[in-house]
Amino acid sequence: MNVGSIPLLRELRWPKFQWRIAALKNGFQDATAYRVEFLLEIAGSAFVPAAIQSVLWYAMFKIGGATTVAGMTYPEMLHYTFMSILFTQIRGGDLDFELSEMVRSGQLSNYLVRPVGVVEFVWIRGIAPKALIAGLCLFIGIGFELYLGVSPFRIVGAMFLALLGNIIHYQISAALAATAFLWEEAYSMLMVKNMLVNFLSGELFPLNMIPERWAWVWKSTPFYLYVYGPTQFALGRWSTAEYFHQLLFAAAWLVVGWLLIRITWGLGIKRYLSLGG
Amino acid sequence: MGIAKYAEIYRVQLKNNWVREAVYRTNFLTAVMTDAVWICIEFSLFGVIYANISSLPGWTKPEVYFFLGMFFSSDALFTIFFQRNFWNFSDLVNKGDLDILLTKPVPPLFLALTRWMSLTACFNFLLGLIIMVRYSGPAGFEGGWHWLLVAMWLAIGLSAAVLIRFAFSIWIFWTERSFALSRLYYQFFSFATKPDGMYPRIIRYLILTALPFAFIGSVPARALLHGLPVWQYLEIFAVLGVFFIFNYTCWIIGLKRYQSASS
Repeated sequence: MNVGSIPLLRELRWPKFQWRIAALKNGFQDATAYRVEFLLEIAGSAFVPAAIQSVLWYAMFKIGGATTVAGMTYPEMLHYTFMSILFTQIRGGDLDFELSEMVRSGQLSNYLVRPVGVVEFVWIRGIAPKALIAGLCLFIGIGFELYLGVSPFRIVGAMFLALLGNIIHYQISAALAATAFLWEEAYSMLMVKNMLVNFLSGELFPLNMIPERWAWVWKSTPFYLYVYGPTQFALGRWSTAEYFHQLLFAAAWLVVGWLLIRITWGLGIKRYLSLGG
Repeated sequence: MGIAKYAEIYRVQLKNNWVREAVYRTNFLTAVMTDAVWICIEFSLFGVIYANISSLPGWTKPEVYFFLGMFFSSDALFTIFFQRNFWNFSDLVNKGDLDILLTKPVPPLFLALTRWMSLTACFNFLLGLIIMVRYSGPAGFEGGWHWLLVAMWLAIGLSAAVLIRFAFSIWIFWTERSFALSRLYYQFFSFATKPDGMYPRIIRYLILTALPFAFIGSVPARALLHGLPVWQYLEIFAVLGVFFIFNYTCWIIGLKRYQSASS
């Protein structure tokens, strides 16, 4: 007997997945309802940072006359820029701000009475359009890998690392968003975090440009795992052994992130006062 | 309506905003903290660049820091007087908040752009000036009476920021959501955070004409440090003039298109 064809039994088999799939679908529909806006956002978040990075390299190499910077030539810098833009596209958006706003405005109450984890729900809704973009970036990345003569399997591994980095980033952001339980202006913590992430993830420049005496700063955070790390692996600058070493590091951060959310949201919910009917 | 009336209305708005911000005192600390981190990151970015090369085209390290001081001051002025108004600009049309402004015996555009202020950003304005003063000597700024020119260039930078932001916001009369355009504005705004001499000719031309982000900090800093040819002064006023006419025309057409959203 095909169990899946009986609605009640299907419900019993997949209750935990159904709301997640519904959230994914809902998030995708929400993001693409305004198609022009959706496309403008992709264009803006891809081309402008790429143009600014490229301009910086142009100024340093073509106008300034440098031949190598941090051991990288002009074409290598451009390759880095192009590849890093693919990974920055899967960034999770402003989901952390959404969480903090939910706490501040009391919308959180709607979720507390439902059998869903609010932190996970918001992430799934937000990741839906990004999954589409990640697929597109993967496709473009494979083409670029073939052009560079690097194994296209590297881009798959790199995209996986970027997704893990994205989850870790969200976990840390969600833990910070929990400060909204204590503080009206929690959003400022998130703004500061975003600025630091921009700098420490490798979105603005390859992190090996940072002088060695300051390298510990970016190495001690997990943010390089979702732009700099994947880009290095995709361009063949990280060995497979290094990649698996970084995967272990990512796994450790995932556990830390999970604990952070459990603790901060556990404590926050205890303090939460829902007003209104 | 005379200037005195405008000044009186502005004084009342200023007072109201001061009272509001005095109530939310922690907001001051958070605004300062956020901008301080932003300033640190911009400095670190150029620190990293100059750790790898000795100079960027036409700009030494102290000159770039002087430019950053100018840019931060100019941007802080925009934050103080206009930023919140642009954040709320889409609500004017979408939620029908414009109805209230249309019923007042004051030009609605004046109220729409001056109603909200973020006086806490005054600290960042001072921080920008301190950075300028700190690097003025090493950057080769002549000083003396030339400091008076800083005020003029800050006014030009502020005007440019307002006109560009307005040009990105006005489309709310024709689109339902302004989020993407606002985001696009902030993406393009990154062009303002680097000296214009760094850019290739096409982009440089773009940020000096169609998207004049270079007028916010880069051109003023260059003018203060090295002076500008006469034609560039004319160009600045021509570009800002065209933006002003374009924005005002769009506002008038937009108002005709506006349908009250409230009951």
